[in-house]
Amino acid sequence: MSVLVFAIFALAACGGALAVVLSQNVVRMAFWLIISLSSVAGLFFLLNADFVGATQLLIYVGGTVVLLIFGVMLTAQGPYVNLKTNPAEVVISLAIGGVVFAMLVAAFSGVNWSANSERLTAEFGTATLQTPGYNQQGEGSTVRRIGGALSGLRTESLRDGRAIERPGYLLPFEIVSVHLLVVLVGASYLARAKRRSGGSEPGAGPTV
Amino acid sequence: MTPNVYTATSTTLKWLLGTAWLLPLAGFVIEIFGGYWGGRKTKTAAWIAVGCIATSFVLSLSALLVWRGATAEIREKQATALAEHDAAHGHGHGGEHGHGEHAHAASDHAHGAADHSHAHTNHVHTDHADFNPLRTTFTGEFYRLARFGSVVVSMDYYIDGLTVLMFTMVTLIATCIHVFATGYMAEELTEHYEDHQVHLSGGRHFHRPGRFYRFFAFLSLFCFAMLGLVLAGNVFQVFIFWELVGVCSFFLIGFYVERKSASTAANKAFIMNRVGDFGFLIGLMVVLTYFGTFQFANTSPDEIGSPGLFQMVRDTHGHMVTEGDGREKVVLLQSGGNTPLHSQDGKQRVIPYWLLIVAGLGVFAGCVGKSAQFPLQTWLPDAMEGPTPVSALVHSATMVAAGVYLVGRFYPMFTPEVLLTIAYVGAITAFIGATIAIVVTDIKRVLAYSTISQLGYMMLALGVGGWMAGLFHLITHAFFKSLMFLCSGSVIYGCHHEQDMTKMGGLRKKMPITAYTMLIGVFAIAGYGLPGLPINFSGFYSKDAIIASALTYVSLNPQHFLLFYIPVVTAGITAFYMFRMWFMTFAGTPRDHHVDEHAHESPLPMVAPLCLLAFLAWFCAFRGEDGGLAHQILSSEPTHVRDGLEHGGILGLSLPSHHQIHEKHATAGWVALFAAGLGSLISYLFYCRRTLDAGTIGRQFWVIRDFLIEKWRFDELYDVMFTRPVHVIGAWCQGFDKRVLDGLIHLASHLTLQTAKFDRAVDERLVDRIVNICGEVTYATGRSLKGIQTGRLRQYVMFIALGVVSLFVLVFAFLPRS
Amino acid sequence: MDSVGLNHYLFVGAVLFVCGIVCMATKRNAIGVLMGVELVLNGANINFVALSRYTPLGLDGQVSSMFVIVLAAAEAAVALAIALNFYNNHLSIDVDRADDLRG
Repeated sequence: MSVLVFAIFALAACGGALAVVLSQNVVRMAFWLIISLSSVAGLFFLLNADFVGATQLLIYVGGTVVLLIFGVMLTAQGPYVNLKTNPAEVVISLAIGGVVFAMLVAAFSGVNWSANSERLTAEFGTATLQTPGYNQQGEGSTVRRIGGALSGLRTESLRDGRAIERPGYLLPFEIVSVHLLVVLVGASYLARAKRRSGGSEPGAGPTV
Repeated sequence: MTPNVYTATSTTLKWLLGTAWLLPLAGFVIEIFGGYWGGRKTKTAAWIAVGCIATSFVLSLSALLVWRGATAEIREKQATALAEHDAAHGHGHGGEHGHGEHAHAASDHAHGAADHSHAHTNHVHTDHADFNPLRTTFTGEFYRLARFGSVVVSMDYYIDGLTVLMFTMVTLIATCIHVFATGYMAEELTEHYEDHQVHLSGGRHFHRPGRFYRFFAFLSLFCFAMLGLVLAGNVFQVFIFWELVGVCSFFLIGFYVERKSASTAANKAFIMNRVGDFGFLIGLMVVLTYFGTFQFANTSPDEIGSPGLFQMVRDTHGHMVTEGDGREKVVLLQSGGNTPLHSQDGKQRVIPYWLLIVAGLGVFAGCVGKSAQFPLQTWLPDAMEGPTPVSALVHSATMVAAGVYLVGRFYPMFTPEVLLTIAYVGAITAFIGATIAIVVTDIKRVLAYSTISQLGYMMLALGVGGWMAGLFHLITHAFFKSLMFLCSGSVIYGCHHEQDMTKMGGLRKKMPITAYTMLIGVFAIAGYGLPGLPINFSGFYSKDAIIASALTYVSLNPQHFLLFYIPVVTAGITAFYMFRMWFMTFAGTPRDHHVDEHAHESPLPMVAPLCLLAFLAWFCAFRGEDGGLAHQILSSEPTHVRDGLEHGGILGLSLPSHHQIHEKHATAGWVALFAAGLGSLISYLFYCRRTLDAGTIGRQFWVIRDFLIEKWRFDELYDVMFTRPVHVIGAWCQGFDKRVLDGLIHLASHLTLQTAKFDRAVDERLVDRIVNICGEVTYATGRSLKGIQTGRLRQYVMFIALGVVSLFVLVFAFLPRS
Repeated sequence: MDSVGLNHYLFVGAVLFVCGIVCMATKRNAIGVLMGVELVLNGANINFVALSRYTPLGLDGQVSSMFVIVLAAAEAAVALAIALNFYNNHLSIDVDRADDLRG
C-alpha cells in the first residue's frame, strides 16, 4: 500500500518537475510546479512529517506558487511570454544536469546508511535514543514536538521510555522571524510603484 | 608734622601728582586710537594732548601749593635754625670740626677717616635733624608689581620740593611746547605729505599720509614717561621710565623715519643711551645686592623699619659712617634713625666703599648717556633731526633733564670720588659743547651744542658740591632753552625749513616777536645781570651759583684748578656763540633774498608760548638765591651738602659748605659777568659791526676750525675705536662663516642630497617597481578574468553546477578512503 | 523492492534537484528561473525529511526543512519584487538582458 502511494507521489513529483523543465509556457510551468510541490507534500506525509507536509502545502502551494503566478500575470505581456532558449545551451545544460544527477545518485547509493547510523549513534552518544521512525506514542503527530523545539524545548524519548531535554531552536527561530520582517520591508520597498507609472501595478507585497 | 597730617598730605599729593602723571598716558591712548580712526585732517589729537598736559600742569601747580602749605611750618623752623646756625658759626665751621662729640649710636665704632669725624658740634644736634629734607618728603606706594622674597618691585612715589617743582616745570614747558606744536606741525594735517628731504629715484619727493596725531601721541607718552621718572619712588622705577623716555625720544627723533639721517639719528640716540644704561644696570645690581631695596627713602612716620637707600647710606645728620681704611674701607648701613642696621643674624650690614663708588659711577654712567655728557654726547646734535618741538622738549624738560635730575636725586649715594668724576665729566662736556657751537651754522645745532655745554655746567655744579646750583640751573636752563628752541622753530617755520644761519640775517624786522623773545633767551643763557639787582635774567643767578661753587671747590682743592677755569672760559664762549647766533639770524642785512622774501612771523599759537616762556626765562629766578625758586630747591637739598666736607673719601677731597660758597659769591659773579661781557663784545665786533672778519680768523686758525667743525672728531674716534674693530671682527666672523660653517653646511647638504638621490633611486627602481608589478599583475588578472563575468545568470548556474561536479570528482578522486 | 527505503526518497530528491538546476539553466524567463530555485529547494527538503525519518537525527531534519520553506517563501517574495522592478525598468523579463554588470 505504502509503496503504491509512494510510487504515485514520487512519479507525480518527478514528472511535474520534468514537465516544468520541458514546458515553454510560463503559466503551464506554474501549473506543473503546483503538481510537483503538492506531490512532495504527499511524500512528506508518507515520511510521518505531517507538520512539514502541511506547511509545504500551505506556504508553497498556497503562497509561493500563487505569488509566482501573480508575477507571471503582471509580467506576461506581449512577445515575452515565450522566450526561446538557444538550443546549444539547452543541450549543454541537459548534459550538465545529467552529470550532476549521475553524481548525486552515485553519491547516495554508495552509502551504507545503517552502518552510518550505528556510527552516528556511537559518536554522538545517542545510542540510547529510540529507533527513529513511526512510534505509537508519537502517533505521527510532530506538531507538538516541533512547536516545543521551536520555542526552545526539545524533548527526546529514550529507548527505556524516559524523556530528556535538549537545546531547541529558539535562536534560529528568532533570527528567521527578524529575517522575515526585513524581507517584508525590503520586498515592499523594491516592488513599490515607481514614479514612472507606466506599469501602474500595485505593490506585490509578500503575503507570507 | 603729625602722622595724621602726614598721611593726609601724602594722600593728597599722591593723587594730585599721580593724576597729573597718568593724564598724558590717557591722552596717548586716546590719541593713538582716536587718531587712527579719526582721520588725518583734524587737530583733535592736538587739543586732547594740550588738554591733558595743561590739566597736568594745573594739578602740579596745586600739588606745589599743597606741598608748600603742608611743609610751611617745618621750613620756617629750618630757616630760623639756619639763621641761628649761621650766627653761631660765624664763618661757617672753619676751625671747629673734629672736636665734636658724636651723639649718635654709631659713635662707638672705630670710625675711619674723614666722612664722619669733621662734622658738627653739640649745640646744633637737636636742630640739625630739622635740616633733613626727608622731613618734608612724602613717600609711599602706588601699586606693588611683584615681590621676590625681600625684594619688592613696586610703583612708588617720592614727593619732595624738587619733585613738585620738576612737575610744575615739566608740565608748564610741555604745555607751551604742545601749543606751539599745534601750529608748527600743522602741515602734517594732510593725506599727502610731501617730504622734501627724501629724494626718490627720478627726482621725485617722497609722499606719505600726514602723521599729526601720531606726533602728539608720542609727545604725550614722552611727558608721561618723564613725569613718571620724576615721581618715581625707587631707583628701579626710575630705570623703567628712564627706558621709556629713551624709547619715546627714539620715536620722536625718528619721526621723519623715511629720512635716512633721521632714522640713523634715532638709532644713534637709542644705542648711545644703551651704553650708558649698561652702567646704570651695573649700579642697580650693586644697590640691590648690598641694600636689598630700591626705595629712595621711607619717610612715613607710622612705619618702622625698611629704611630706604638714602637712610641706609647716611645717618640723619647726613654723614656716612665708615670703618677701616684703604681697600678695606666699608660703609656701615644705618636703619633710618641714628642706629646701625643689622642683618637677620645680628651682624652689622656694610657695603664696601669701593662698591659704593662703583654703584655711583654706574648710575652716573646712565646719566651720562641720557644727559649727553662726554663721552656719550654725540647723539644730541644728531637728535636735531626730529621736529623742532621735540628738540625743545628733549633739550629742556624731558630727556636730558632726566640725567641731571637723577644725579641730583641720587646725590646722597655719591661719594666724593664719584662727585669728582661728575665734575670733570661736566667740565669737559661744557667746554667741548661750547667750542663746537662756535663754528656750527645750523641754528638748531648751535642750540644743541649749547645744551650739551649747559648740561656739562649742571653736572659740574653737582660734582663740585653745588647741589642747589646745578638743579637751579636745570630749571632756569629749561625755561630759556625751550624758549630758544621754540624761537628757532619759529624761525625755521617762517623761513620754510631753512636752518642754515648763513642764509638768514635781518629777520628782526620780519619776525619781531620771535627776535626779541629770542634775545631774552640769549641774555638769559649768557648770564647777564647786575649783582644786587633783583630782576636779573634767570641764567645770571644760576650760572653765578655754579661759578661760585666751582671757585670754592677749587680754593679747597687747589689741584683741581681746571674745574674753575674751564667753566669761566666756557661762560665767555657761551655768550660769544649765542650772540653770534642772534646776530647772524636777526641782525644785519638779509644774506639770501629767497629766504628773506618768504620769511614771516609765525601764527598766534606759536608766538604766545614764546612770550610766556620769555617772561619765565627772564623772571623765574626772581631775587636769585633769596627767591622762591631757589628756596624751593633748597628745601630738598640733601642734609650733608650744607656743611660740606673736609678731606673726605679716599682721595681726601673737600666739598664746599654753603658758607664758603657764599663768601666767594661776589667774586664769582663778577668773574662770570666779565667773561660773558667779553664774549658778547667779541661776538658783536665779529658779527654785528663786522670790524673783525670771521672768515679771515677762521682761515688763519684753520686747524682748530676744522677740528671744531668735525666736532672734535668724536664720531671718527668712535668709528676707529668701536665701529671699525666691530667691522673687522665681523669680517673675521663672516670669513669663518663662509669658509668653515658654510663648508660644513654645504658638506651636510651635499651628503643629504646624495642620500636623497640614492633613496630616490631605491624608491624608483625597487619599491616602485615592486608596487607596479603587483598592480600590473592584478590589473592583468582582472582584465583577463573580465571575460568570464558575462553577466548572464543562467551561465552562472551552469558554472555552479559544473563547480559542484568537479568538486565531487576531485573529492572522490583524491580524498583517501577510510 | 519490498518497502520504500531511504534511497528512493533520495532519488526523488535528486530528480527534483537536477530538474531545478536544468530549469534555472535553460529558462530565459525570470519567473522560470525562480521556479527552478523552488524545485532545487524542494529536492533538498525531501532529503532533509527523509533523513530525519530514516536516521537517528530525529527532529532536526524536519525543523531544518521548516526553515528552508520559510526562507524559500521569503526568497520568492524578494526575488519576485526584484523581477517586477526589473520588468518596470526594462519592460522585459528576460534574464539575459540583465547583464549590466558583465565584465
